[in-house]
Amino acid sequence: MSTEPKVFVAGIGVLPFGKHVERSVTSLAVEAGLLALRDAGVAPREIGMGFFANVLASRLFGDSTLGQNVFASLGMNRIPVVNVENACTSGSSAFHLACMAIRAGECDLVLAIGAEKMCLPQMGLLSSGNTDPDTLLGLVTPASFALRARRHMQEFGTTAQQMAQVAVKNRKHAALNPQAQFREPITLEQVLNSPLIADPLTRLQSCPIADGAAAVLLCSEKVAKRLSCRIGVRASILVSGSYDNPQDLARWETDFRCAQQVYEKAGAGAADVDLVECHDAFTIAEIMHYEALGLCAPGEGGRFVESGAAALGGTTPVNVSGGLLSRGHPVAATGLAQIAEVTLQLREQAGARQVHGAKLGLAHCMGGDRAADTKSATIVILAT
Amino acid sequence: MTQSLASVVPGLYAHNEQGELELTGSFCAACQRYAYPRVEHCPECLQPTERKPVGGKGSIYSYTVIRTRPPFQLPEPYAVGYVDLAASGLRVFGLFHPEVIEQLRIGMPVALEEIPLGINNDGQPCLRPVFTPAVKSDEH
Repeated sequence: MSTEPKVFVAGIGVLPFGKHVERSVTSLAVEAGLLALRDAGVAPREIGMGFFANVLASRLFGDSTLGQNVFASLGMNRIPVVNVENACTSGSSAFHLACMAIRAGECDLVLAIGAEKMCLPQMGLLSSGNTDPDTLLGLVTPASFALRARRHMQEFGTTAQQMAQVAVKNRKHAALNPQAQFREPITLEQVLNSPLIADPLTRLQSCPIADGAAAVLLCSEKVAKRLSCRIGVRASILVSGSYDNPQDLARWETDFRCAQQVYEKAGAGAADVDLVECHDAFTIAEIMHYEALGLCAPGEGGRFVESGAAALGGTTPVNVSGGLLSRGHPVAATGLAQIAEVTLQLREQAGARQVHGAKLGLAHCMGGDRAADTKSATIVILAT
Repeated sequence: MTQSLASVVPGLYAHNEQGELELTGSFCAACQRYAYPRVEHCPECLQPTERKPVGGKGSIYSYTVIRTRPPFQLPEPYAVGYVDLAASGLRVFGLFHPEVIEQLRIGMPVALEEIPLGINNDGQPCLRPVFTPAVKSDEH
């Protein structure tokens, strides 16, 4: 195993995802940061550096460099603060940078906060930006996953029912998570009969938007001993797409590559993983992530969810928090909320949705769209 | 009508000598690599590329019909997908002709056309390239 400096999770803070109409992005972020500081039991003056993730405030509110506002409001003026935008992996990219700062020996405590406010009338579908030719030719995010779903069905025989089972499973998990936005159980028929967004994907197979914030406080081994933190970061990987042409839409090379790198760095394999939080932006995405993460063989993702293996109580529970599909997806908060969920599970504090005996967990996130590939992918492995 | 409208992305496609529409990409002679959309420098060797057509005919690799509120005043519903171009081997993203969205199948041969469709970033009506089922020459 590597001898580089170790990084530990000192504190987490997650707000319930949903509509926070009366509150600003900064207000949500500050509360999440406060929760993480209290969880860790550290004072703001001990924090050496801050990263703030947000994607949409510049577009929706005309705001920029909000991170400095957030950290100043938390009593962390003067310290270095960096604003992070990496689409859906903004939060987990902020986490990755925080890990690097500690591994570099620059700081002993680094706080990463992600916040998003997007439940607004002017919020349309997410795209790659209005100057991208693909966007101008009508590419919207649900379409890029529908195109993958069509290929996956064609090549591996994945069925609409199998995809819908991902939504049913994650909603069943969400019933056990008081912080999830949608908690009522749904049936296979309801998922399949909800309106088509981009065929074969229906509305209940697409993650809803949400306002929300999440924070993760990281620390060095020295501080971890003082604070008695036992959840360590075994590996954190951030990669970009290859953008090779042609891209294979049924086997996501960037997803596989990211998984291979994180397992190599962690000195672990899929068989060691007790639970997964993954980027189920759409049902087909979760099926493809099972395959990339090695939870099943390539092409077997549909049959994997059908078998119950990905449900709480199965061989590798996936998205026991309810996932993006039930929690909602406040873009820059999602990555950190996934890491917070895995931390909670490894601390055995997850209540009714606890994966019993969880020792090693994985948080996976993906973001952005370019040339039929993702722009960024992150995977974090945490272990006791 | 068609004559007075501008393309949604100027320089994205052009007619070849046979009068057929082809997407305009780039080619690196040193690496023998095509790119679309066009890049100024080859990402492999960083040498300047030459502008080159990458084809307008191919077969459908994947497709979907989008039934949410469409962007850029595109028709509701509208269809998009990836087409494997015969000339360059590139897999390119594109729109399908609104009149053929119920006929689309993986592997279907298609060819590029331009039609007035939706608006551009300035809110003006514009032309867009669309793939339509390829018509055999004896049917002309």
